[in-house]
Amino acid sequence: MLRFARTDMQTRTNNSSAREAILESIRSHLSLSKNLDAREEEIQHKTARVSGLVSTVISDATPVVDLFKASLEEVDGHCLIVHDETELVHALTDIMRNLRQTKLSSLRVAVSDNSEVQRLTSLIALDLDEIAVTPSAADVFGFDIGISGAQAGIAETGTLLLDSSRERHRLVSLVPPVHIAILDASQIVTTLGEALSLMQKDEQVSPIVTLVTGPSRTADIELTLAIGVHGPQDLYVIVRS
Amino acid sequence: MNHVTSETFDQNARAALGDVQLRGALRNATSLFGRRRLAAARSLDNWEDLRNQARAIKDDVLLHLDSYLEQFVANAERRGAQFHWARDAAEANAIICKLASERGARTIVKSKSMTTEETHLNNALEAADIQVVETDLGEYIIQLAEETPSHIIAPAIHKTKHQIAELFTQELGMPPTDDIAKLTSTARTTLRDRFAAADIGISGVNFGIAETGTILIVENEGNIRLTTSLPRVHIAVMGIEKVIPRFADADIFLKLLPRSGTGQRLTTYQSFITGTRTNPESEGPEEVHVVLLDNGRSRMLSHPVTRQSLACIRCGACLNACPVYQQIGGHAYGSVYPGPIGAVITPQLMGLEKTQQLPYASSLCGACREVCPVKIDIPRLLLHLRSEITEHGSPAVAQVKKRTSERAAFKVWRMTMTRPWLYKLSARLGRLFQVVLIRDGKIGEVKGIARLATPLTAWTSNRDLRPIERQSFREVWRASLRKN
Repeated sequence: MLRFARTDMQTRTNNSSAREAILESIRSHLSLSKNLDAREEEIQHKTARVSGLVSTVISDATPVVDLFKASLEEVDGHCLIVHDETELVHALTDIMRNLRQTKLSSLRVAVSDNSEVQRLTSLIALDLDEIAVTPSAADVFGFDIGISGAQAGIAETGTLLLDSSRERHRLVSLVPPVHIAILDASQIVTTLGEALSLMQKDEQVSPIVTLVTGPSRTADIELTLAIGVHGPQDLYVIVRS
Repeated sequence: MNHVTSETFDQNARAALGDVQLRGALRNATSLFGRRRLAAARSLDNWEDLRNQARAIKDDVLLHLDSYLEQFVANAERRGAQFHWARDAAEANAIICKLASERGARTIVKSKSMTTEETHLNNALEAADIQVVETDLGEYIIQLAEETPSHIIAPAIHKTKHQIAELFTQELGMPPTDDIAKLTSTARTTLRDRFAAADIGISGVNFGIAETGTILIVENEGNIRLTTSLPRVHIAVMGIEKVIPRFADADIFLKLLPRSGTGQRLTTYQSFITGTRTNPESEGPEEVHVVLLDNGRSRMLSHPVTRQSLACIRCGACLNACPVYQQIGGHAYGSVYPGPIGAVITPQLMGLEKTQQLPYASSLCGACREVCPVKIDIPRLLLHLRSEITEHGSPAVAQVKKRTSERAAFKVWRMTMTRPWLYKLSARLGRLFQVVLIRDGKIGEVKGIARLATPLTAWTSNRDLRPIERQSFREVWRASLRKN
């Protein structure tokens, strides 16, 4: 620890001088290139300021819900479209039964603070071993399934947008091996660009916004796809249409 | 730890060429990534527009880097992020070690970051008695094996599942298996405990958005989300060139980066982190620190050709496209950044004296330029660095002996090509003397006494050379005129 005594003081006094030194280095090196830049037509031509975004034309007339489902399934996610609450409860029950039969020995469920999600989960409480609302970082590792809402869906990629200032779902959507999200069809936009503009309210962005496209994956061993590394292995999205 | 350096590139490359397993793995990886990238790029009808826009945005950022950086920092600070400026690798490591020791941190989980590979942060943390665990599966394997990454996107591309299984059996006590799913779940289970116990999470940064002060990090595994969500403190290490102006610009880069890197439409997760949590009740770290690293980057701004190196978004597409990388892989480059982009970035970051072989590790075929999502003219950069080595003889490369002969060779070439009589004479002399070298109609490996007489040895030791034709085009032309 003694070793740090010296670096401690150094870094403290250095931070503001390092900042000035780096900014000064940027400015002085940029000024060196001024004359050369004038000769670089290429660069001159390219720095023409870009305005607006490239619009992605979705020529497909497929309804967004179907496009969302197709895109999500392409990346190994499950998508169930339901039309009323009865169907939704059925879908949830089916998922639970299936999970118990295939991979989970217990069904301990962690839900977000979304009251609608809590109400729907309580409807299938008899099928579950435990329900907890937003367990802490220390406790969340003991749960098998996380259930949350989502703030938007992106049809062209099958993506969920999770805004953690509007719902406490940062951990329940991430740590348990299964994540189930409940989404309204009206929340689905077509493109990533639209979703990004939803994220920016009055020039502000929430502290943490996460885009989720399918279950966690890796191909780090011999480039062979393995589903479920650090994040959920199974992702179910139930869309209320 | 293997101590391969850029100084011995020629030997490294030769050794890699003899490694049959490595070359098989490289062939699979680079061709698979290449095919996927092409398919993903073709799935958009405005790929070229996107590339042009992305480059224009990067050029704009780099020309006004000071003001964009200040805007980014001000907006993120307003939202509670704390900033630390580091002129070089040592300073960055000292800042992070200090943050860790002040908080009494014993365990740090880390997600994949090329920038911290560049600063050798893990060595610094270990020297300070802090345990640091890589959590990206590929990086974790590499860390267990005490090796270095061989590809920007797939760090453990050079290892087979058998080697990884052996490693896991040895280091983690796993029962022997060749099942990739089992290997992956073993890593998951082992690393869960680390995530749960970690005091600090360290990540890289893909983009820093000036308009909102947001850090954007992309991934597939979920380890970045865990690293930035679970520990009490999050430290993000970011090169100063990573800024983009507007939030909406993320749309363009999120279309280009995953498609170019892995051929995905979108990676599984994108984390947009803007300062710290506002509500003490909410989930996530209490402290967010950003370490801004220069480490030679600002120097690259001084010339329009070198400046474009800073537009790189680290997708790895140029590695997969490069005929040299395809044969020798990442380790031969002896540096953190391999492949074509590594051959231009490394000499600029580390200086030319120890890296002067790298700008020559290219056939200048231009495949890297073709696939680059931000249109970096890598061949031009390579030539620029080569000319710095031969022409200016910059003080950094005072001891260059080999390259002076190259300079002389090009002088002779120019002399010959600009004087028709000299050209004719040397062609005739060539035709006369090549007779002793021709075997079966070609010039094969030059052997025996002829080795002394010919500068062709280096070329012919690896490939055949076509002899000069018996008659030049002009002679054929004249002869046929005479006939008619």
